[in-house]
Amino acid sequence: MATQIVMDLNGDSRHQFDPQDAEALAKAERRFKELTGAGFIAAARTATGDSRLMRSFDPTAKETLFFPRLVGG
Amino acid sequence: MFWLGQQASECEWRARAVIGLFRSARNANTPEVRGLRLLRSWLSPTQLAQFDAKGHFDVVGGESGKKYRIKFGICANVLELSEDGTPKVGWCVVPDCCLVAGDVMLAQKIALEAFEGVALAKANKFGAPAR
Repeated sequence: MATQIVMDLNGDSRHQFDPQDAEALAKAERRFKELTGAGFIAAARTATGDSRLMRSFDPTAKETLFFPRLVGG
Repeated sequence: MFWLGQQASECEWRARAVIGLFRSARNANTPEVRGLRLLRSWLSPTQLAQFDAKGHFDVVGGESGKKYRIKFGICANVLELSEDGTPKVGWCVVPDCCLVAGDVMLAQKIALEAFEGVALAKANKFGAPAR
């Protein structure tokens, strides 16, 4: 199973899907586009523990994290 | 610089209190605990050990190689470190929505590692020496 994690007021919301299921994969890709279109930033972890930006949907990503755009505080 | 040092010690005791709370409420499902759980799961082993011991963790800027310290908090909690490890200047950059501390700190870590220049261009600087 793969997971999309969206930061929100409750800490986060998680959406799990089976990447082998074409319908679930399409839904996950739609969610990716909706969130990034709304200004969320998508990131994944590299094998070394660093973070990388995801500019497009990656069907092989085990875990994708979405957080709101950043502003100066 | 004195202010940065003072802020650092205040953040440290606050962080220790929150980490203690996290340990005692590890299985709780509050936003604060969920945020800390998510942050901990994304930290590298070195960052996690540092966070557990000191309440902060260091990040290497993905573009400049500069070292930053992310302290427990939701704003004005990112310090750029000089080569000797002392705070040089502070940066405030946060998600544009109300999030718990663990989430804010994780967003800051990812920003500095993955798109440092863009993040700092949006950030406000604080604690710079007066000229």
